[in-house]
Amino acid sequence: MNSFFLILLILFAGAGLSFVLGKISSIISGTVAFLSIAAASALFFTQIEMGSFIEFSLGGIQLQWGLNSYGYLFGIIVLGLGTLASLYSISYMQNKERTSGFYFNFVLVIAGMTGIIFANDFISFFIFWEIMTWASYLIIIYSGKNVKKIGIKYMIFSAIGAYSMLTAIVMIKGQYDTFLISDAINAGAFNFIDNIYIPILLLIGFGVKAATMPLHVWAPGAYNNAPTSFTVIFSGAMSKMGVLGMGLVLGHMFTADRSGSLTNFFSGFSVIYLQQTIGWLGGITAVIATLYALIQDDAKKLLAYSSIAQLGYITVGLATGTKLGVMAALFLAVVHGIFKGALFMVVGAVERQAGTTDMTKISGLIRKMPFTFLTALISIIALAGIPPLGGFVGKWMLYEALITESNSYFLVIVIFFSSTAAFLYSYRFLFGLFLGQEEKETEQVKEAPITMIIPMLVLAILLVITGAFPGLIFSPIATAMEFIGFKDVTWNMSVLNNVWGNEMNLTYLGITIGVVFVSIFAFITLKGLKGTRYVGTKDISTSGEIPYENENLTFQINFFQPFVRAAAPMYKRSMNKIWNELGNGLEALFNFTRKIYTGNGQTYALFVVIFLVLMLLFKDTLFV
Amino acid sequence: MEDLGIKIIGALLTVILAFTVGMTYGGIVRKLTARVQNRRGPVIWQNFLDLLKLQSKKTNIAHGFMGHMAPVWIIISAGTVLMFIPILNGNLWFPNLTFHGDLIFLLYMMVFGSLGMALGAGQTGNPNSAIGVTRGLSQMVGFEIPFVLALVALMVQYKTTSIQDIMDIQAQTGTWMMFANPFAFLAALFASLGMFRYSPFDIVGAPAELASGPVSEFGGKYLGTMMSGGSIFAFIKLTLYVDLFMGGAGFGTGILATIMGLGILLLKTFSLYMVPVFYGWISPRYRTEQAIRYFWGWPTALGVIAVIWAIF
Repeated sequence: MNSFFLILLILFAGAGLSFVLGKISSIISGTVAFLSIAAASALFFTQIEMGSFIEFSLGGIQLQWGLNSYGYLFGIIVLGLGTLASLYSISYMQNKERTSGFYFNFVLVIAGMTGIIFANDFISFFIFWEIMTWASYLIIIYSGKNVKKIGIKYMIFSAIGAYSMLTAIVMIKGQYDTFLISDAINAGAFNFIDNIYIPILLLIGFGVKAATMPLHVWAPGAYNNAPTSFTVIFSGAMSKMGVLGMGLVLGHMFTADRSGSLTNFFSGFSVIYLQQTIGWLGGITAVIATLYALIQDDAKKLLAYSSIAQLGYITVGLATGTKLGVMAALFLAVVHGIFKGALFMVVGAVERQAGTTDMTKISGLIRKMPFTFLTALISIIALAGIPPLGGFVGKWMLYEALITESNSYFLVIVIFFSSTAAFLYSYRFLFGLFLGQEEKETEQVKEAPITMIIPMLVLAILLVITGAFPGLIFSPIATAMEFIGFKDVTWNMSVLNNVWGNEMNLTYLGITIGVVFVSIFAFITLKGLKGTRYVGTKDISTSGEIPYENENLTFQINFFQPFVRAAAPMYKRSMNKIWNELGNGLEALFNFTRKIYTGNGQTYALFVVIFLVLMLLFKDTLFV
Repeated sequence: MEDLGIKIIGALLTVILAFTVGMTYGGIVRKLTARVQNRRGPVIWQNFLDLLKLQSKKTNIAHGFMGHMAPVWIIISAGTVLMFIPILNGNLWFPNLTFHGDLIFLLYMMVFGSLGMALGAGQTGNPNSAIGVTRGLSQMVGFEIPFVLALVALMVQYKTTSIQDIMDIQAQTGTWMMFANPFAFLAALFASLGMFRYSPFDIVGAPAELASGPVSEFGGKYLGTMMSGGSIFAFIKLTLYVDLFMGGAGFGTGILATIMGLGILLLKTFSLYMVPVFYGWISPRYRTEQAIRYFWGWPTALGVIAVIWAIF
């Protein structure tokens, strides 16, 4: 059987089987889900040749599935993270209810995303997109909490995205008479000269999944409401489907050959406008999401807002349209999948072991969950973009692209503000869960089981590797970028360059940090080793006073109060409010319509009479 | 191999220089501040004595792994940044790695140490430490904005992101950057007030009510190592400013030229260092939100002007 069919068959069968077996035991169901995703990944990475495709017809429509280098890049994220997250789920979901439904939808989301990667035509793309959306919707409302508020919001925005995508697909069929993505691209469907509506409609469709402002309002609630082991996929991989689509559209839009066209000047001009608009939307998304992330008291919500901020950076990178910028965006997409996946796994581990993710309730878990803390530490360093980990590489390229290539000098400042403020919530996350006072409430907490630790540590190690050898990821990114129209994409294993010829050598950096670290660590550990005493968090000097036995010394509430006070004007606006106002406006419109269509037969009869009277009055002008 | 040998010796020399200069400057400021306040004050090598005392403590208290690592992080950050900053222009004794890293990298690497210290302070469980950290991080978001605006202005104006290139351009044109783009210099100078954390921006440490803020739980070898790291950082910041805005220093590789270059460097860094110190003497303390608002006001406006100046 063909590998494409086989992979999807394994995934769909795995979904069904884990649903059936879930009635027996959640562990068996989880194991089946894990095995099916792992088997699909194994086949994906070994059996499918790049560039191969199959064609078949379904109900008279020619469908084509294949694998190109661009899809392969996202396949790495989806199936790599999917395998680890499903392994993680087994222990995480162990004692929960209705796990069969959860695993069914979990595998279905992975199947949907794999299908999106395979799809070479718009019909199967759309079908798999909807499978992914619906399955994820069912997981979001799995807990039964906030269904009305969060579930409906997610549904509405997904529907907006789906309708605009569908409209674009119909327009492509109407104008170019093809459903094949490659044919549509070659015919110039995305190039913004002939078409303004198709690219914009598609961007709206993808922008919803990538949580770009102003379409991001569903994301914090949805990320928070889903079970944490699924949020790993939701934030790490599923949001990248939006990035996949945006990259495809924007890449072809910016690299399209615009020479020799009469409308050349104006179309080029409008592309620049669009580019700037999308870039600024991404930048503002990043700032607002960061500001909201740092006032959260719940670790999971904090990460949910942080995900939106990081997706904002990716949008900015894609919108630059330059080689370095797009490369930065795709690199950040991969690295964000890794570190945000790891961080949500950390939150899940804490949630399972300590019972809550509310940072005002728990603190000081570092000694109880050392491996979880280690993962959190490494991932947070990557998230904050601090050298020498993978996150820094992406941030560096993004800044250099904005400064050197795209002339977006003020956008750089916006991004920089957002990522400096990100240090605040990064610190809050580590401090809130792991550092600070060890209180009695968390005395019984133990380290998470090994099936949860392994995926976390794998991701943490990956972050270290991507920091030292980003070339390992540049290589698939470069071929992917050549697929979406960039030419001669160059990269080095451990050296970053910008167009002005400045370089950032990660090998020298790694060696320097290594040498300094080893020598100073040896010094501080060995010096007076016997005289060094480790004490608990109650043994402190609070300005010379000795704290009482039961005195509460936890500092968690209103953590960044001074910053929030200083930035108060920025907290006043909220996209949620604007959408709510729009909703209220629409409701008023519907209320007005209600005055006409009262549902009363007498009123309708009156309308008929009025209509006839008007007809008679104006019969001379109307029927000449 | 001989080349590598010189590099290693150069690196060690750089560290010793940075450490000595940073510590001495700190001592001089303590003395001067005392005289201004009509006190007698400590001797100018008091910082070295303090360090000696701290490092020779027989017992040390650590609050766990992160507390143990905090000074390590600071030294990693300080040492690494030092290797990537040009000390003397065109001098073989301080060759280091100036061509292999750029300004964006330095911006991020300099934060590494603060984050390490913040985490270490967090593990001690002392609420005062955590309060100091939140104040410090918030204030950092404040002053980084004008600082980055100034740096972007420089990068855009001369189409390079490398410090070495900016130094070379100043040497070639003969114009210091503080005159070529005065607004960028002013914005960066305001930012430096926050960076050095002298009054009015000393609420982070808040010696009076927070018992020295983040570091309140550290002592012995830990505090000593942090102090050394802090001194190296002071030298790094000053040298970075001199390199970027005041033409750097250095004449060549000969012994006399090296000594002269170092002399010029000391002169420039010291006079620059006096700016935040003087400003501190005459200013009362700001609250954190006032400090942030301060940096987001005129300094940021100057930074924006600097970028516009650089574009046109």
